[in-house]
Amino acid sequence: MPFGPIFRAMTRNRSRFLLIVAEVALTLAIVANCVSLIRESQASLKVESGFDDENLLWVGSRPFAEAFREDAYLHHAIDSDLVTLRTLPGVRAASNTSFIPWIGGGSSTEVRLGGNRYRTQIYGVDPAVFDTLGVTVIQGRNFTPAELEAGTGSDPDKVISPVVISEALAKLLYPNGGALGKIIQDPSGTDSFDVIGVFDRFYNPYGWPIGEYAVFLPRRSGGFSNFGFLVRTQPGQKDALMPEIEKALLASNDGRNVRVRAIQDIRREYDSRDRAVVMALNAVMILLVFVTALGIVGITSFSVAERQKQIGTRRALGATQGDILRHFLLENWMVTSIGAVLGTGLAYAINVGLVTLVQQAKLEAWVLAAGVGLLWVVGLGAALGPALRAARVAPAIATRSV
Amino acid sequence: MFAYNLRLAWKSLLRNPVLSTLIVGGIALGVAISTAFITVYHVFSRDPIPGKSDVLFYVQMDNWDPTAPPHPHESGIPPQISYRDMRELMRSKIPVRQSPNFLASLYVFPRDAKARPSQEPIRMVFSDFFPMFDVPFRYGAGWGRAADAGPEPVVVISSELNERLFGGRDSVGETIRIDRREFRVTGVMAPWRPSIRIYDMNGDVFGEPESVFMPFNWIEPMEIRTAGNRDNWQSFDGDPTYLEILRRSEGCFLQMWVELPDEASRQAYARFLDAYTTEQRKEGRFQRPLDNRITSVRNLIQDWEVVPPQSKAIAAISILFLIVAALNLVGLFLGKFLARAPQVGVRRALGATRGSIFLQHLIECELVGLIGGAIGLLLSFGVLAFFNTVFRRMSQSEDFFHLDLTMVLAAVFLSLVAGAIAGIYPAWRICSVPPARYLRNQ
Repeated sequence: MPFGPIFRAMTRNRSRFLLIVAEVALTLAIVANCVSLIRESQASLKVESGFDDENLLWVGSRPFAEAFREDAYLHHAIDSDLVTLRTLPGVRAASNTSFIPWIGGGSSTEVRLGGNRYRTQIYGVDPAVFDTLGVTVIQGRNFTPAELEAGTGSDPDKVISPVVISEALAKLLYPNGGALGKIIQDPSGTDSFDVIGVFDRFYNPYGWPIGEYAVFLPRRSGGFSNFGFLVRTQPGQKDALMPEIEKALLASNDGRNVRVRAIQDIRREYDSRDRAVVMALNAVMILLVFVTALGIVGITSFSVAERQKQIGTRRALGATQGDILRHFLLENWMVTSIGAVLGTGLAYAINVGLVTLVQQAKLEAWVLAAGVGLLWVVGLGAALGPALRAARVAPAIATRSV
Repeated sequence: MFAYNLRLAWKSLLRNPVLSTLIVGGIALGVAISTAFITVYHVFSRDPIPGKSDVLFYVQMDNWDPTAPPHPHESGIPPQISYRDMRELMRSKIPVRQSPNFLASLYVFPRDAKARPSQEPIRMVFSDFFPMFDVPFRYGAGWGRAADAGPEPVVVISSELNERLFGGRDSVGETIRIDRREFRVTGVMAPWRPSIRIYDMNGDVFGEPESVFMPFNWIEPMEIRTAGNRDNWQSFDGDPTYLEILRRSEGCFLQMWVELPDEASRQAYARFLDAYTTEQRKEGRFQRPLDNRITSVRNLIQDWEVVPPQSKAIAAISILFLIVAALNLVGLFLGKFLARAPQVGVRRALGATRGSIFLQHLIECELVGLIGGAIGLLLSFGVLAFFNTVFRRMSQSEDFFHLDLTMVLAAVFLSLVAGAIAGIYPAWRICSVPPARYLRNQ
């Protein structure tokens, strides 16, 4: 490959090539850092809850009728709503709980074990919750209806509540297994939890890093101001069911407002910031690469037009069309590569600043390598048109004066 | 001369419409992207309450469980304070104004018995809240300090709720039913949309202000619970009532704001806080190391990372984008100008100085920059409208991100910079063309 002559030819017209070098370097540096930012945001978009999110609905019921202030009336309303929900065609399961997936929070407590304390999420549930979420009790057993009744009534003598905990929490508390049947205490030491079961999957983002830890307590959830249900529908029935559910619940008891939301919509809202970041950066990257390609086309065209006479001379002296094509492509590749080397340095320099803003956006080597590969391809693609035009320059042009 | 140069530039643009469109399009794209992203950052980071960012202070005290690790909030101590501490702090005469607040959610019943009641977000505040946070009023005003103590049944409502309940008319003096009580409207807020809802930096920071503001002291008679976060580490034996828990608990759910106009009052208030917690320690509370904090609005926004850190990064990246877009145009201008070398040679031979040639071409570049910038500014409206739809859920606002005068000026400046980046080198090249070379061949 005739690197030497090509390089010497380039040094005769430095400014043009310096422009491409600068563009390629900046583009590489920006794209590499954009990808780092995107990866940081995308990581949280990819996390899965482990539930059947696609078919889950949250049904919120907010009473205003005074009758709901009576516990007995409230509990009766919850039970009759569950019957209404379960008999609607298309509903697979329904559960009264205070747990709303993807709302970005919930309730938490600490449990005490030995000398250690562990923070975990904690929610009131009924026995239908596992089937509704689409998770499985893998050790031990589910709650019984009697345990739900016992948990709901306020019994001052009750000291031990049966609980079902998430597998991640079981592993945190008992790394060697055997959580089942163990008694864990709440921090005040007055209440104790008897682990009667362990279920397999749980993830719900929380302000604190306790997304995978959950304790489920058997009790009717809700009070005068609000109570709610998780509903799992048959696949594809969700959208049709949302207005149906509202209508059916209001028909059975009009003393409240009802709002039905798809869990996927709740998640979309939770994710909106990350999705906006990903979308914005993707747009910037695509436009940037496009603009850079345009710039390379422009400068290479100019450079071909300016060197018509020299190209004609080379052709007249025996260079084939392939030689000319190769000359321009090789020239472009060399310029892109110099830009890539400078861009690598620049990318790391920018990343130092970026990491002070967004800690997880550290630049990884393979991202840079992929960026260099992309720019080689884009550069060659952009130079191909002008290079082909150069190859078609007739040798006779050398004999004409300007 | 300037007008003449402008006319030359305009003619030159028309001579090669395809190339001109490409160049203008390139600048427009760069200006649109950078203006839009800088606007996002600008909206997030501008002073949310000008003139008050350094006199409004947020109070924190570390009443967290002495046997537990530090509170997991990023400040390392509970982000809010307890009801019992708030009661004591309110006795201080040092702040010129002070108000705790929390979010509640209660039903508002319309006059028309057939219409459905609606559950409304309600902010519980003291009367000082309104002047502290510069709440704008369309009708009436906030309630007086005298109404705090009772508390009197008075409320301030949002213009949106006033629209729904009273058709937008002056409703001061009318009553509305909230929960089981009647409240008299003392003020209707003008549409109010602070860029950051600074009085609640624990909750939905970009949300809309609540539709009802109610005297804080209704918390006890109406047994109002918080609809926001509440951090607690303590539990009580037996079956205490809500009020017993409220008065005794270490549960933190109140955001305490004090207005301290000068350094002396700040120091005095800091001493007051330390004296209070030191006194409480003797009674067995506040057993963690003494850590009381008062933080200004300005510092709180930074410390709690209220503004998404990505927005700053993306704004910086978008400026680099504009630079790359402008660099791309250098090649195009170079080709365009050098093709004109023979004419320039003639002008130079006829006496034009290098300076005037340089100026002529630079003006052409800046003209292109400004045309591109104007189109870019229009495009950025589109980009921001798109952001608003993406963020609608988060901000519940149609125009959370919008261009203000500063950003329009910034866009003009950016397009001039882009024109200069793209044009200086080509203009310099063309003005250094030796006239003789081109005269020979003519």
